[in-house]
Amino acid sequence: MTEKKIFSKLGEKLASGEFILTGELEPEKTTDLSHTIHEAKEMAPYVVAANMTDSPLGIVTINSMAATHIIQRESGLECIWQLTVRDVNKLGIAGMLMGAHALGIRNILSLTGDHTALGDMPESKPVFDLDSATLVKLVREMVDKGSINGHEIEAPPTLHVGAAANPNANPMEAEILKIGRKAEAGAEFIQTQVVYDLDKTIEFLSAIKKYKVPVLLGIFPMKSYGIAKGFDEFVPGVSVPKEILARWKSIKKDFSDKKMQNEAYDQANYEFFKPFISELKQKKLLAGVHCMAVHYPRIFPKLREVVFN
Amino acid sequence: MTIITTKKPFEEILTAIKDVKRITIVSCASCAAMCQTGGTEGAKEMAEKLEAEGYEISTVIVPEEVCDNRVMKKDFRKIEEQLQHTDAILTLSCGLGVASITEVLSNKFPLIPVFVGTNTEFMGMTERIGRFYMRCRGCGNCLLNETGGICPITTCAKSLMNGPCGGMVDGKCEVGNYERDCGWVLIYKRLKELGRLDLFSKLRDSVDWSESGHQREVVWR
Repeated sequence: MTEKKIFSKLGEKLASGEFILTGELEPEKTTDLSHTIHEAKEMAPYVVAANMTDSPLGIVTINSMAATHIIQRESGLECIWQLTVRDVNKLGIAGMLMGAHALGIRNILSLTGDHTALGDMPESKPVFDLDSATLVKLVREMVDKGSINGHEIEAPPTLHVGAAANPNANPMEAEILKIGRKAEAGAEFIQTQVVYDLDKTIEFLSAIKKYKVPVLLGIFPMKSYGIAKGFDEFVPGVSVPKEILARWKSIKKDFSDKKMQNEAYDQANYEFFKPFISELKQKKLLAGVHCMAVHYPRIFPKLREVVFN
Repeated sequence: MTIITTKKPFEEILTAIKDVKRITIVSCASCAAMCQTGGTEGAKEMAEKLEAEGYEISTVIVPEEVCDNRVMKKDFRKIEEQLQHTDAILTLSCGLGVASITEVLSNKFPLIPVFVGTNTEFMGMTERIGRFYMRCRGCGNCLLNETGGICPITTCAKSLMNGPCGGMVDGKCEVGNYERDCGWVLIYKRLKELGRLDLFSKLRDSVDWSESGHQREVVWR
């Protein structure tokens, strides 16, 4: 087995087997990234890296490669550039991968991307020339062989590439076999969709363990009752357990003082996620945790206790 | 197999033919007749509507297959006299019919414009009249031997080679509000049924578009 090359802090931590925490940033429809920079700075002491979303739900935002570069430069926080295959063909993506390296980007999460039909420019042509597995394969060729379609790259990019997985998927076996394809393509890490169901998560993680790809479990600490309810209603395929919704609802009702209410929400997140993560850690099913709660950097000190203690 | 067509809005047809007066209707007796956009009935209905709008119908023909150049050469020979006095042709057929007519008339009547009264939807499978489904896109590189006879290029909204994607929930697709089946789950179920999940597990390369893009031809003699 050849020694694994390391290009980033994320790559280094994954190789060391150290349990890690990653975060998520969601730049918006704007040219001004000051809010995202602020959030990145707040998150930076607690996470190894943060994902930069690529027009989620097909709703157009500032280009994620540009945002990744700017956030890394301005905040010092290492990023995981989420690259979807929705908007650019294979030729364009190969060019972007070289450009991303030149801009200092070293981590990529390969994603299919939500369909253009879902977003705010539904008339756009959906591209999907590659898919999330063949994008991983392209990155591997460019990084490992220094070529594109067999044509040599003068100075090849050095990038780590990860893939997504959905433990909530039904039928689960189809998803598991698909993770096998992503692993075969050369994915170096997996970040999962948000989970709330411990049994299902254990079943899924146990099934994909054979692929030997480190898994960062997606969690979504909920900043407020409104966010929890919205997540439950509007994120397809993920339901927030009823007891969580009830507890969050009572926090909203019981605390009129905003500061006390926030503390109660943070504590409730801690109490839900602490045993959840502990059990998965104990079963050695995780390499770390990926917190997908955007605009909630306040939770990170508590989350550090959830993840590391 | 049928090329599925639907009727264009009549207003759109009127806009297209606003500068002409005398019209020849060419209505296909094959696929378009089955889709009730062409055939004898479709031609009759269109002729009546055009006459009501003040157009003059030079003649109406209902060829067996408008997309077949040989048929059209034969049928146009019979109406050469009428074509001398027509300003335009309105075709009730698929887009292939329009191309065929234009091609066949290019020597003798190159100046007659050819309009179309339908939208060509897709190459369809017929359940019964009025229920047609796209199951094949004719991509030129058939994968069906490996996907349990279900085409991912057609049934997956993203035409992915390695699905299902994260937009699948309980076997349904994110496109169309989770009402349609996810193509890759259909493939999974079928291959499982056939005891061939080994085929489902296979990592597939992206589609090779180098041969399947522009103006394909099959010419073997």
